[in-house]
Amino acid sequence: MKKRKAMLCFGLVLTMMGSILGGCGTSSSSIDTSNADQSSSQSSEETGELDTFEEVELVMYVIGDRPAGQDAVDENFNQLIKEKLNCTLKLNWIPWSDYANKYPLLFSSGEEFDMAYTSGWLNFASLARKGAFMSLDELWATYAPKNFSKQSVAALQEATIDGHYYCIPTMLSTYNAYGPIYRTDIMEGSEWDGKMETFEDVETYCDIVKETKPEMEPLDIYSAGSEWDDTWMWSLGYSSSKGSSNDFLFFDSSQENPQLFTYYESDQTNEFLEMMARWNEKGFFSKSALSDTDSTKTQNGKAAVRTHNVDNYASYSTIHPEWSYSYSNLVKSIAHLPYTQDAMVISNTSKNPERALALWDLITNDQEVFDAFYYGILDKTYTLDDSGDYAITDADNYAVSTMWAARTTEFNRNIVGTPADYNTMKEGFETSIVAGEGTEKYSAFTIDTSSIETEYAACQSAHQQYWWPLELGYTDAATGLAEYQEKMEAAGIEKVRTEIQKQLDAYIANLK
Amino acid sequence: MGKHLRNLGHEFKKNRALFVMIAPAVLVVLIFSYLPMSGLILAFKEYRFNLGIFGSEFNGLDNFKYLFQSGTGWLITRNTIVFNLVNLISSQALAILVAIFITEINHKYFKKLTQSIIFLPYFISWVIVGTFIYNIFNYETGVLNHVLQLFGLEAINVYSMPKVWPFIIAIFNAWKWCGYNSVIYIAAITGVDSETYEAAAVDGANIFQRIKNITLPCIKPTVITMLLLQVGRILRGDFEMFYQIVGNNGQLFNATDVIDTYVFRSLLQNSNLGMTAAATFYQSILCFAIIMIVNAVVKRIDKDNALF
Amino acid sequence: MVDSLVVKSGQIKMSTSTKVFNVISYVFVAFMALVCILPFIMMISGSVTSEHAIRFSGYKILPKEFTWEAYSLIFKNPITIFRAYGVSFYITIIGTILGLFLITMTSYVISRKDFKYRNAFSFFFYFTTLFNGGMVCTYIFYIQYLHLKDSLWALILPGMFNVFYLLIMRSFVSAIPVALIESAKIDGAGEFRIFFRIILPLLKSGLATIGLFLALGYWNDWYNAMLYINSDKKYPLQYMLYNMLQQTQALAKIASQAGISVQNLPSNSLKMAMAVVATGPIILLYPFVQKYFVKGITIGSVKG
Repeated sequence: MKKRKAMLCFGLVLTMMGSILGGCGTSSSSIDTSNADQSSSQSSEETGELDTFEEVELVMYVIGDRPAGQDAVDENFNQLIKEKLNCTLKLNWIPWSDYANKYPLLFSSGEEFDMAYTSGWLNFASLARKGAFMSLDELWATYAPKNFSKQSVAALQEATIDGHYYCIPTMLSTYNAYGPIYRTDIMEGSEWDGKMETFEDVETYCDIVKETKPEMEPLDIYSAGSEWDDTWMWSLGYSSSKGSSNDFLFFDSSQENPQLFTYYESDQTNEFLEMMARWNEKGFFSKSALSDTDSTKTQNGKAAVRTHNVDNYASYSTIHPEWSYSYSNLVKSIAHLPYTQDAMVISNTSKNPERALALWDLITNDQEVFDAFYYGILDKTYTLDDSGDYAITDADNYAVSTMWAARTTEFNRNIVGTPADYNTMKEGFETSIVAGEGTEKYSAFTIDTSSIETEYAACQSAHQQYWWPLELGYTDAATGLAEYQEKMEAAGIEKVRTEIQKQLDAYIANLK
Repeated sequence: MGKHLRNLGHEFKKNRALFVMIAPAVLVVLIFSYLPMSGLILAFKEYRFNLGIFGSEFNGLDNFKYLFQSGTGWLITRNTIVFNLVNLISSQALAILVAIFITEINHKYFKKLTQSIIFLPYFISWVIVGTFIYNIFNYETGVLNHVLQLFGLEAINVYSMPKVWPFIIAIFNAWKWCGYNSVIYIAAITGVDSETYEAAAVDGANIFQRIKNITLPCIKPTVITMLLLQVGRILRGDFEMFYQIVGNNGQLFNATDVIDTYVFRSLLQNSNLGMTAAATFYQSILCFAIIMIVNAVVKRIDKDNALF
Repeated sequence: MVDSLVVKSGQIKMSTSTKVFNVISYVFVAFMALVCILPFIMMISGSVTSEHAIRFSGYKILPKEFTWEAYSLIFKNPITIFRAYGVSFYITIIGTILGLFLITMTSYVISRKDFKYRNAFSFFFYFTTLFNGGMVCTYIFYIQYLHLKDSLWALILPGMFNVFYLLIMRSFVSAIPVALIESAKIDGAGEFRIFFRIILPLLKSGLATIGLFLALGYWNDWYNAMLYINSDKKYPLQYMLYNMLQQTQALAKIASQAGISVQNLPSNSLKMAMAVVATGPIILLYPFVQKYFVKGITIGSVKG
């Protein structure tokens, strides 16, 4: 009897669930078709004549925490664009604390908004393939014509997923240069030769730090993995298949038809592991580094050297000019980083994609609008010096926008106190790049893991579990490497390699 | 079926007011718990954002595959069940112990004060607990190694000893929930008829006998129910706890990885909502099975205290 | 009360075993209290320690280099903090009252032996602890169909009802003699009248216990705020805290992939200070309701 009653009760719930199920199915699909109709019909009929008669409020999602002074900045900016495009912009924020969960959910909730920040670390390509963003095939060139015409070929290529444009990449060039950012003030009085061009130099430097500054950790390593492994591979002229650090598949970009390989297939890996084991032995970094969540050890004076990019070098230098940071690049084949590492997407639920694109065109092509959007209010949230460098008035009130994708090489400003060699270094990187050569040849190559998602996720997991402790010398080099190989193979590295190799071959074939 | 409806109708007429009183809760649970369950169908679909949950195509069991890639599925399932079971038992045991001792304390202010203090860890979030754990165990500047060196012992690297971490986690878990759980047990112990105690004391039973023969049997139903209620949480271990204590440290994964942390790490890189739903579904099924087994066992041993 | 009785009778012949046990009790409870208060002291001490000292020598019982800096930074913009206090109080008070009402009324119904479907309903509630829709589906459902995005109700409604509390409350209700209800019925009182006039006044300890649990649950919840709240004006305190604590880690995770430099990462002492501020008043709730915990209960199973 009792059971029967429970069953009855449960059955009732099931039927209710069923009816809801049916209801939702129809409603969600009807939304979609109407949306698609709307965008295609409008763009074909109006052919670029943007109708700004009706005032609209655009909504943009960015990552970060809302600054206290945002209201004033919004007001100032809205005044400007109200005049030019008869629209206002409302910013919504996804706080740092949980961007990983919240960002994909944003696109699944059906919430109406227009624009959002995107990036490789937000899984732009994977989300685009799953239909999270609006296709910009017709819209982009029509409603953001200036922006479209200024995009480089590589950027357009990177914005294309499965044959459609899905994002508008940044127009600020960044470089894959990576290497030690190190303090020179603590070297004074020692017999340091000042050289920092090889890993031996790094070791010499750390030896001195260890001796003269025992309270410091020479190398900055924390829970996100060391990145010295990537720096090592890049210094040998190899490129990461996914184009950023913490990768496990590499190829030699100087070869005609490069083949993918992983750490245990490289001859130099043993040498690297020996070096790291030695560094661990010497106490260059903590024995518990992988549990240390402090990512700011270099900029706070706890650690002396960290491997990272030139932009971080500049920012450290502005925070602590008295520590006389210096920088050197170890990457052999300099290339542009994918422009999609900072990009803007239009949401599927956007009611006004035309106006949103027009606004984006304005922001990326008008210094006044860009300044108001990115830096805020002149002489209130930021000031400019004679050379056009900016200074933040009160960082607790308002720093700069976190919509990094709006930056362009043309309008982006340096912060006051940026080291003098920052620009020369960047110019040096730019001139050393030869289009279609070395890593640059592959800068538009993006991997598509949709058919190998399971294996790829498993490989990444195994890589983190077995390689990270291994590269820091926590596990014995020989047995650790064998175990790493075994686990990677079990995770399906061969399938991953075959698939990505296929994509790489197709990419090369496409270039010819 | 007809008879059932007639029964229902009869009961409704008789106890209409009771039905009205229970209706709000039924509605709330229906809307906030049952209806979202329909979304579990996502576990069997290849989710596309533009098609929505119900418009996306079915893809069979594909979403479940990554859980079982390279044998991790078994490992994390075992870890999840074993750890949470250990955590459950240790935390309840500590709470019972504390409750027994506290009720035996006569000094009124000492009793109140300590009871309040033991509640404090509940308020400290896992992120901060995680920070302190690192503060204790890290090799170079940790408190533990300082103490060891003070006694002339050799420093130990706890982070290279994955085997001890399940215990560390269990200890901190028990510590954090001790005050909270003991509230119920203190209530249960104070509920024991004082005359029973007096009679026992007069009979010359010493305190250990009293606890063994009176206190423990009297709180047994409470203990069993608490355990059974918490068993439901076994499969959904406290993600924050595992994540904040272990974090990204691959050295400890084999010993500490649970379903939630594995899923979190795997999906950070591809935002596949179908796979997330698959993990939830898998946990729910396992949870259901475990509850059924435990309930059946309890029913055998002690019919009155079975959950349902 | 119970203990004092025991003590009196125990004093007649305080056996050695009782003495030993008493010593053990005091020692053990004192030890537990020490272990439980130490991290709390470290948290407070950390909040008034300079950043440099924390970084180089970790957290200590006593601050090594004392400073109020973290607190002055938090209260630099006091409106934000007080607004967050307001939100936390609002959801805690409304949620606790609604939850208590819902749980007490429901537990009354399912504790009535003459209510035929009480077990079916109990199971209906219990089932939700076994199966749930998971974060993704629940999120989509709440936003798309219930339109709870950025609404404070998203923080109140999901935590209002809980099977665990229901069963505890039912034990309190069951302790009330059935005869009371029956005689009231004979006097011609309706169910609602019985519930409000007879049952509720007798449930003080039940209301205190469950009220405490509900209030703590609401006060400590950051998860729902993380999912559903958009505007920073509606952030509860705990979410502000969580956000601050997680920020550094989140940035660490992506730092390697992006040329992003973020100014103003919260310092360690700031995190600790925020934790102290966020724990704040709720910590006083426990001693306050403690005096109601006198009455004993035995919690039974799902079926009644």
